[in-house]
Amino acid sequence: MLSARVCRRNAGRRLVGYANYSVAVERRSNTLNAIVNLPNTTSGTSAKEELNGQATSPGALAGKSIALKDNIVTKDSPTTAASKVLSGYESPFDATVVKLLRQHGASISSKTNLDEFGMGSHSQSSNTGPVFSPFSRNGTPLSPGGSSGGSAVAVATGQCWAALGTDTGGSVRLPAAYTGVVGFKPSYGLLSRWGVIQYANSLDTVGVLAQSVKDARQVFRSLNVFDAQDPTSLPASVRQRLGPRRREPGRKRLRIGVPVEYNIDELSSTVRAAYVRTLDALQVAGHTLHPISLPSTRRALSAYYVLAPAEASSNLAKYDGIRYGYRTAGPDASPKRNSPLYAQTRGEGFGDEVKRRILLGAYTLSSEAIDNYFIQAQKVRRLVQQDFDRVFAQSNPLLDASLSTRSGDGGVDIIITPTAPTLPPTVDEVKRQSPVESYMNDVFTVPASLAGLPAVSLPAPLSEQERSSMEESDVTSVGMQFIGQFGDDETVLEAAELVEQLQP
Amino acid sequence: MNSSKLRTAPLHLSRALHSSVPTSSRVPRACIVSKWLSSRNFTAAPPLAQESIPLRKHLKDEAKRKKAEAKNNGVVKEGKGDPRLDNWELTVGVEIHAELNTACKLFSNAPTEGSDGVANSRVAPFDAALPGTQPQFQVATLLPALRAAIALDCEVQRKSGWDRKHYFHWDQPNGYQITQYYEPFAKNGTVSLLASDGVPATDLNGADSINIGIKQIQMEQDTAKTTHHPPSTYHVDLNRAGHPLIEVITLPHIHSPQTAAAVVRKIQSVLRGVDACVTGMELGGLRADVNVSVRERGTEGTGSSYSGVSGLGQRTEIKNLSSFKAVEDAIIAERDRQIAVLEAGGVIEGETRGWTLGAKETTRLRGKEGEVDYRYMPDADLPPLVIGSDLVDHVRSTMPELPDETVGRVQKQYGLTVKDAKTIVDLDEGDRLEFMEETAELVTHGLGDQSLDQLKIGKLVGNWILHELGGLLSSNEISWNNMPITPTELADILINLQNKQITGRVAKQLLNGLLEISTSPRPSVDRLIDDGNLRLRPLSEEGYEALATQIMDESPDMVAAVREKGQKGKVMWFVGQMVRRGEEGTVEPEKARQVLERLLGS
Repeated sequence: MLSARVCRRNAGRRLVGYANYSVAVERRSNTLNAIVNLPNTTSGTSAKEELNGQATSPGALAGKSIALKDNIVTKDSPTTAASKVLSGYESPFDATVVKLLRQHGASISSKTNLDEFGMGSHSQSSNTGPVFSPFSRNGTPLSPGGSSGGSAVAVATGQCWAALGTDTGGSVRLPAAYTGVVGFKPSYGLLSRWGVIQYANSLDTVGVLAQSVKDARQVFRSLNVFDAQDPTSLPASVRQRLGPRRREPGRKRLRIGVPVEYNIDELSSTVRAAYVRTLDALQVAGHTLHPISLPSTRRALSAYYVLAPAEASSNLAKYDGIRYGYRTAGPDASPKRNSPLYAQTRGEGFGDEVKRRILLGAYTLSSEAIDNYFIQAQKVRRLVQQDFDRVFAQSNPLLDASLSTRSGDGGVDIIITPTAPTLPPTVDEVKRQSPVESYMNDVFTVPASLAGLPAVSLPAPLSEQERSSMEESDVTSVGMQFIGQFGDDETVLEAAELVEQLQP
Repeated sequence: MNSSKLRTAPLHLSRALHSSVPTSSRVPRACIVSKWLSSRNFTAAPPLAQESIPLRKHLKDEAKRKKAEAKNNGVVKEGKGDPRLDNWELTVGVEIHAELNTACKLFSNAPTEGSDGVANSRVAPFDAALPGTQPQFQVATLLPALRAAIALDCEVQRKSGWDRKHYFHWDQPNGYQITQYYEPFAKNGTVSLLASDGVPATDLNGADSINIGIKQIQMEQDTAKTTHHPPSTYHVDLNRAGHPLIEVITLPHIHSPQTAAAVVRKIQSVLRGVDACVTGMELGGLRADVNVSVRERGTEGTGSSYSGVSGLGQRTEIKNLSSFKAVEDAIIAERDRQIAVLEAGGVIEGETRGWTLGAKETTRLRGKEGEVDYRYMPDADLPPLVIGSDLVDHVRSTMPELPDETVGRVQKQYGLTVKDAKTIVDLDEGDRLEFMEETAELVTHGLGDQSLDQLKIGKLVGNWILHELGGLLSSNEISWNNMPITPTELADILINLQNKQITGRVAKQLLNGLLEISTSPRPSVDRLIDDGNLRLRPLSEEGYEALATQIMDESPDMVAAVREKGQKGKVMWFVGQMVRRGEEGTVEPEKARQVLERLLGS
């Protein structure tokens, strides 16, 4: 049963309406700092579109306002990835996903704030200041989650109908869980990354944040096409193999995997209770629960924090202030011969967390460390993928059938876990965390990223009792994560929608 | 995991061929980046005209220099000259970078053509490393790379990969170069060199040829071009950024500086011969790095091992050598330095050294501790490169003839010497050879039934093209490209000569005359012969005798020299006199010699 307050808030949101958001909303956006900028030419474009009759175009997203995480490039507004190093950068082209949104009739409402280059779990490390959740505890704002915190808050507060984020290790799912919206990360390679500013390109995916599974699916389907400009976009031949693969005929009941390794000490009682309620509801509805083991889960987080910084150190090497972006005042050639021209520019242009990860990555790729870190982490990544392949009923369509590691039948259709181990911390608590402690937030989301699997975070409402023991301003839901086999994105959404409908 | 399995579908032939861009006139696309760059007032001055020397001129200058050197120093400037070389053996491996002959860049469809383009006009978003851009491997660039691999006898790998090599420099927009570090596309090749390629006899050891192993060939991106505008301004031109290169790495199989230079020359001519690399490759298109070590003969050096070759001394690397002379001279300088250090009881450090043209010594650039750690990492955006055997077979079956093969064929088919065959193949980018083959065919046809055998015709035509025509061109300072004579004209002259319609002297006059006739259309060769009344009107036996007698009477001394002193050579003096004195086109030297020998009783 959804609490009355949530209902009221939802209703309020709908009243506000997404297409023409009001001054009030904009003022609120300033408060929460979810929005970094609006398109330069909103009015001009829409007038033109009306003339062309495009405003009434029957696209699947016609009239919907969609916000974009500011690491997705757009022609008509600057794109900075919340970094000083890209301040004022204007892309000469639109990202493929932006083109597709426009083709389907959506209007791009705004660009949203994030952790610099997507590196963070709380959206607190942005060049334009931290994002605040609409929820608070003891008068302190809660973490909106990250790194797509701006997109999540924009959806949660009704500033847009839906938003695009990017998810590298949980950056769509975690803020969705912390702000009470749906956050969907599709299988790696389904949505084009052309025009998405890279953080860790073997993990980066474009994801969708929306009020409901239905809305998220609608956006996902509009974007789910092959793009020749993205060399990792899955070609048509592979997409065919991903096509709807029916469960055994007549079996409507889902086989649900419950990984024993996710029942960790750090799991808070509130989250555990919501998890149990979700599983209970599914069992009552006739679906079956199956304990499964994903033994590499613990090591997955370490592997992620080796691989992602390694790729980041490479992907961010291009920001030198020579061709675009921030440049330090005056010449910054070091007096020492042969040192890079732009050491100072990079030193000033990147924030602390980005520098930390670049250094970490540069080290793990160095010839003395690569064998112990980068190569080991790649091996762990393979183990994580094999863990999943072993438990899913469907074989991984990317592998030859003969290589399938699945043991006999009885696999599961979907795995359900909490999205994060705890309720969102306050921003003050976040400040007191060490970097490694804050990396812990990603422990449940990282495995699906390493394996490239589709995963969605769905808000599961807190119980009346739990609500009554908390402040009214605190969150009202906990994120539940649904993970499916590679390419089985529709089953993931279907399962989440099922649970959504079972919710009070 | 990101779906490596599914992206290993082989590049099928049809796809590869389909995407090969036609080489005829390409129109440069409007380039959004360049527009964008200029909209941001990002300008770069047109690159300073860089002095570029055509390869042919370079080769010629080299030969001249060598000749002069040999004259000055006797033949032994190198090798035997230094007694230390009896104790020390040199070992060299070479890495050669060459630009592939392709229509587009390696990872973007920006055109590569022409170096004269306006700065930053051939730049796709990826080439400028714009945020959110990704590489797109251009399949057509594989074709010249495969030709190179096949020509150098490499095993083409079914699966190879792309790696990022990181270093910061403003000529490297992404902060890394995409190369094939872990898995190159071609391995285990050979290049074979003959004495005529410039290998000294001491390296040949009595054999006809030596083989130098090719460790691997990899594809990679070129860098941007930087021009320095003193004192402190640099302009970066991204037109070259991302142009496909191949890097050919030889095994340390080379034991003399001359052979090292010969290897570079040979690899370059093979690459050019199979159209793998930019035609008329300029010196700027070639960059070589060499690694050099010495060991005391009969020892295992420092026990170092490179690319599976063990028992060598500690090596150093000399980077960025841009001419054959630089390769040779830098190796000599480094070899001598290493020997001097070792003989003084010192130790060679593994380091990178530089060398500038004209320098006597190499200079230390950086030691091991200053070595750049390139942090090689597989590029996660690029699927592995999978090359189907059908594509390799197709390229193999459509390969142009390799220069060595052509030389062999020309020797066999036209009876030329190795030297003449090599010369005619090397000249004018094959145009001279084409001229010869066409002429030979016309002569064969024109002589019809009374045809000489092919070898004789070939030899005749070859001689005339190389020596008679070649001599005329150089004495008149006419370049081959401006040479007006057609194969048909030369063939007509030779047919007339062969049919004894004209004398050799007349044939040469005709050739010379054709160079000067600029009217168009020009009269045919037969017309010229008739108009000039040049056709051979053989003298009667009596006529020969009368002329001979007349000359003999005028020069009793010469007669005595032949008859009494037995100076048979003087007969030819009489032949010359007869040809000169007889009416044009009447005296055949051979016939005159017979008559003279009879009359002189020699």
